[in-house]
Amino acid sequence: MAYVFHPLTNTIAKAGVFVAVLLIGGVVWVAAEIERSPWVSDAGVHRNQPIPFSHEHHVRGLGIDCRYCHNSVTESASAGMPSTQVCMTCHSKIWTNAAVLEPLRQSWETGTPIAWQRVHNLPDYVYFNHAAHITKGVGCTTCHGQVDRMPLMLQAAALNMEWCLTCHREPARFLREREDIFQPDYQLPPNQMELGSQLAKRYDLLPPQLMQNCSLCHR
Amino acid sequence: MPQDRLVNNTLPLSEIRHRLAAADGPTYWRSLQELSCTDEFRQSIADEFPALGERFNDSTSRREVLKIMAASLALLGITGCFYKHPQEKIVPYVKTPDQTIPGLPLYFATAMPMNGYGIGVLALSREGRPLKIEGNPDHPASLGAANAFMQASILDLYDPDRSRTVQRSGRTATWSNLLGILNPRLQTKLTNGSGLRLLTGTITSPTLLSQIQQFLQRYPGSQCHQYDPLHTPDGELPKNIFTTPLDTLHDFTKADVILTIGSDFLTTHPASLRYARQFIDGRRVRQDHLKMNRLYVIESAMTLTGSMADHRLAIAPSDFQLHTARLGHMLGIGGDVVPESRSVPSLSVQKQHWLDTVAADLTSAATSLIIAGADQPPSVHAMVHRINQRLNNIGRSVYHIDSVAPSAQHSLKDLVTDMQDGNVDTLLILGGNPAYDAPIDIPFASMLQNLSTQRRGRDYQNLTIHLGTHANETAWNCQWHIPQSHYLESWGDIRAHDGTASIIQPLIAPLFASKSEWELMETLLDHPDRDGIESIRNHWAKSVTSDFETWWLQTLQRGTIDGTSAPLRKDLTLRPDLPGFSFSDETPHPENAEIIFAPDPTAWTGEYANNAWLQELPKPFTKLTWDNAIAINVRMAENLGGSARPLVDGHIVRVDYQGRSLEAPVVILPGQADGVIAMTLGYGRTHGGTVLTDDGAPRGYNAYQLRTSARPWVDVGARVTFTGRIVPLAITRNHHAMDTAPGMNSIEQSLKPQNIAQPGISEENLELHNRKIVRTATLEQFQQNQNVIQNLDIASRKPLLSLYQPWNYDHGLQWGMSIDQTACIGCNACIVACQAENNIPVVGKEQVMRQREMHWIRIDNYFSGPVDSPSVYHQPVPCMHCENAPCEYVCPVGATTHSDEGLNEMTYNRCIGTRYCSNNCPYKVRRFNFFLYSDYDSNTRRLQHNPDVSVRSRGVMEKCTYCVQRIDNTRIEMEKQVLDLREQARLALEPADQKRLLLAADERGRQIIAGLQTACQQSCPTQAIVFGDLRDPQSQVARLKREPADYGLLTDLTTKPRTTYLARFTNPHPDLAPGTLA
Repeated sequence: MAYVFHPLTNTIAKAGVFVAVLLIGGVVWVAAEIERSPWVSDAGVHRNQPIPFSHEHHVRGLGIDCRYCHNSVTESASAGMPSTQVCMTCHSKIWTNAAVLEPLRQSWETGTPIAWQRVHNLPDYVYFNHAAHITKGVGCTTCHGQVDRMPLMLQAAALNMEWCLTCHREPARFLREREDIFQPDYQLPPNQMELGSQLAKRYDLLPPQLMQNCSLCHR
Repeated sequence: MPQDRLVNNTLPLSEIRHRLAAADGPTYWRSLQELSCTDEFRQSIADEFPALGERFNDSTSRREVLKIMAASLALLGITGCFYKHPQEKIVPYVKTPDQTIPGLPLYFATAMPMNGYGIGVLALSREGRPLKIEGNPDHPASLGAANAFMQASILDLYDPDRSRTVQRSGRTATWSNLLGILNPRLQTKLTNGSGLRLLTGTITSPTLLSQIQQFLQRYPGSQCHQYDPLHTPDGELPKNIFTTPLDTLHDFTKADVILTIGSDFLTTHPASLRYARQFIDGRRVRQDHLKMNRLYVIESAMTLTGSMADHRLAIAPSDFQLHTARLGHMLGIGGDVVPESRSVPSLSVQKQHWLDTVAADLTSAATSLIIAGADQPPSVHAMVHRINQRLNNIGRSVYHIDSVAPSAQHSLKDLVTDMQDGNVDTLLILGGNPAYDAPIDIPFASMLQNLSTQRRGRDYQNLTIHLGTHANETAWNCQWHIPQSHYLESWGDIRAHDGTASIIQPLIAPLFASKSEWELMETLLDHPDRDGIESIRNHWAKSVTSDFETWWLQTLQRGTIDGTSAPLRKDLTLRPDLPGFSFSDETPHPENAEIIFAPDPTAWTGEYANNAWLQELPKPFTKLTWDNAIAINVRMAENLGGSARPLVDGHIVRVDYQGRSLEAPVVILPGQADGVIAMTLGYGRTHGGTVLTDDGAPRGYNAYQLRTSARPWVDVGARVTFTGRIVPLAITRNHHAMDTAPGMNSIEQSLKPQNIAQPGISEENLELHNRKIVRTATLEQFQQNQNVIQNLDIASRKPLLSLYQPWNYDHGLQWGMSIDQTACIGCNACIVACQAENNIPVVGKEQVMRQREMHWIRIDNYFSGPVDSPSVYHQPVPCMHCENAPCEYVCPVGATTHSDEGLNEMTYNRCIGTRYCSNNCPYKVRRFNFFLYSDYDSNTRRLQHNPDVSVRSRGVMEKCTYCVQRIDNTRIEMEKQVLDLREQARLALEPADQKRLLLAADERGRQIIAGLQTACQQSCPTQAIVFGDLRDPQSQVARLKREPADYGLLTDLTTKPRTTYLARFTNPHPDLAPGTLA
């Protein structure tokens, strides 16, 4: 009886198994990388705002504290976006004729709020709380990046769950002294791990396994 | 629509009776179907989703299903890839309103009007949206609790069916159109106002009353008529038994023995929340507090008050006068009030013994209280007053004040007479729905229609205007309809049952172009554009002597107005011309049944018929949703259908009464008095929304079609016949049954004789599988042996081994809940509170019939004793948060996990909908979104969603979370404050200061955690639900868990539930058999 298959078929089939595994693995790897990439996470993407507000100018140049504008950050889940009134405390006196501030003056005169493009956007099933993180010694720039170097606001980190968990699993890597939380140009000290574990104790951080409980963020 | 298999089978009632009589020890059953133990019932319980099988009988072929499934999977693959968030906007305020912090709640003290009386509420606002109603602890009618109607009122605010514009003959019009017609007419009325009429409901609002006075003065000859379906007929109102109208108030904390004669004071009184709290405060039995009051109830239908009775006497309504007269006679009150003893018909031996015992108990008790229902005739009220006097209760447990709601000058009947005589040409209806809820012998609807359509030449001769939240039946019979503002969007004021006034303050500007009744009255007084706040402030400015602005802010903040509660009246004189008793000697039967009309427990008098939360709320005892039915007892079911085939739930009967007739389904309610049919008002509505109708047909039947003005509450002479037809009803009574594996049914265990022989079940096994879900004891048993409840525990005798590693719980906060079954009155407030807090959707009648209702907490009713005179127990069942949770082990994707604080967590976005968890849950507390039940789209409805809780989509499992959003927010608040104090301590220079601050930090932390309440707990009128940290030995929940009466459900499964129960205690009189006497 003649052979139905060519003798090479065995080799092709064996090689095919490896190729298939590699191919599937490759597809999964590529997909995972795309999922993490800025193309999906929007990290590092500038957005055109109605007013080209510069954190670099206001924070680094003028030294305005984060809390002057984001004034509910220590109390509430939401950091708070400054109302037109907050902007007008200064801009009713300075740069009163600047063309870029026209939308601000319009808002103030007509009572219509300014619609800013949202830069940091977590999924709706994630319940992030600013006040909780500030209380426990997480600095602004740990998540938001060096805002004082951003002429236009951008999202510094990926904001995916993997990224959240890097800190929730090992918070000591990032904790700061209370007085340093709002420092825009804060640099981690060389003995961060030592300081961090001291602070974790002092801030009464939840045990690491509790910091990874689902209901802490999802409800 | 599927036929509910549980409803549709026949009931072997005689067999059930026989088996119950042969039962060994107390038997607890949820329904007659369960008692029947038929194979069909067992099968339906054994299936986890009994109605699921029918789905696959659809005409869709198997091949088509596979095709669709394959296509869905393929599409799922595409949509699942690289989901990018839509670009969103942030829109901050232009000027941030005072005190508003985005992300944090704000509470406003206001008051909810209910039938003219106010109940104080704290309304929660998030970013300007009212989201949730809580009771105001400082308000006398709330004491911090909120009933189901208050909880559901938030949904009414966002009801998409609300009227949005002024309408003329059903067409959109404007406010100025209306003024163009109204103002010239009012001008002509300034000299002679006859023909100008106002029709209102019960009013206690001081401002509104003064506006009406001004109105009557401004238009001489005009009249104000009042009609309220709950307060008729006027002449027989209980307040009128005195020479001046007086309201009777009660203090249940001051009574060791309580007798109610037809009063459902736990649910239908304007002060129900207060009374429920006071009543239960006298019943909390603890190991160091072995005292409780005793409640005797005389009633006809089954009410929640009756279910809490230590002794209940179920008699026909016509027997109330006889029993009251007898009781008065036994307590030595005679003379002109009670006829000579021989003319009072005698009672059966048991009933006489019952009354004798009650009379003796009342006399010997240190303190007592007798209360009569608002629907009782003046003769009963007068006698109850005399008995209270005799027992020295006046001024101790019974008080009197000047009637809070002024008596109506003119009634609806007067109005209709005048309309018939042509004396009315301008009619303004301030709220309400009299065209629907007027008594059938007052032809208001047709007269109103006549009035509205009469023409002189081309013009309408008369002017009829209706102010209402919905374009209801009355609106459709009027020429003009004005949208009425919800109480959360208008200024106003109102009095509570004891006279305490509150300012009603809005949380939001009116969603639509609506007016409040105060604003409409200002229009009639020639101030058409005056804002409601101005009227209210003007009124109160007259009586405030201190600085008004300070007073105003303080009053708004507190929610009550100081010094407005009515002073007590000591001079109580009964009217000399009160009618005497009249006795009936007929025995009611189906040919001559007695009929009871009562407000529906969920639709009330009809005003909540368009509220989907309330419609889907299972009514107490019957657990009926989306419909009303006529409640009859088991004996009448047998009489009507024959003892071989007694009627079952859903069978339609015809009721003939006073020449009118009506067809409606029945529900069989064990425990109701013989020969009585109990009807509820509020259904059968035709106009005013999409929820109150079912595909255009009215839901339920309209009991107002039989209700007359002379006998609005009870009457004799109804003829009931069986039509032979059946209609499917959505009844949840048998849904989510625990402990009923076939052959292992606890019912069967108690009904030993025929089951003991069942092969494979030894007596030991029987004992093991009788889990004793409901545990009760009398006070006396508990006094003698505090372990009486724990001795019922089989798990302690036969501990099973767990395969799983125990969790380590020696750190942080550990959450637990304790539910006191002695305190639970089954009022359903917790269910609606949970629904409002946790964005729980409604599913509709058809889905409820498939057992798919979504409530996270259910209230199981257990009956015990014979089917003709059972006792009832309420058991709220939320998720138990088991320490060894069976659901967690079977989830293939880790969507339900365990937290280190002891929570059984549900992560919705991980859930793929296998439903294994629900299948494995012995308590049946998990709910699955079979379809997209949540409303993402209605532009107003979605405003109510709690932003702290995910709105669940289709295909996701959900269940009670112990209000994890409240836990998280409270923990964060606690950490914030505690850490601030600790940092201060760290920086303090003096060691003494450090120590003080550290102690203060600990104390602050404990206080904040102790203040944490779940939504169900917060709304509970009787504080039956307690939640908190188990690791703090001082916490309330930890103390309750140390009680000897504490037990867990199905603990023999080693689930270690975090929610446990306190057994139900009763306090029966030693000389009387406990439970109901029928």
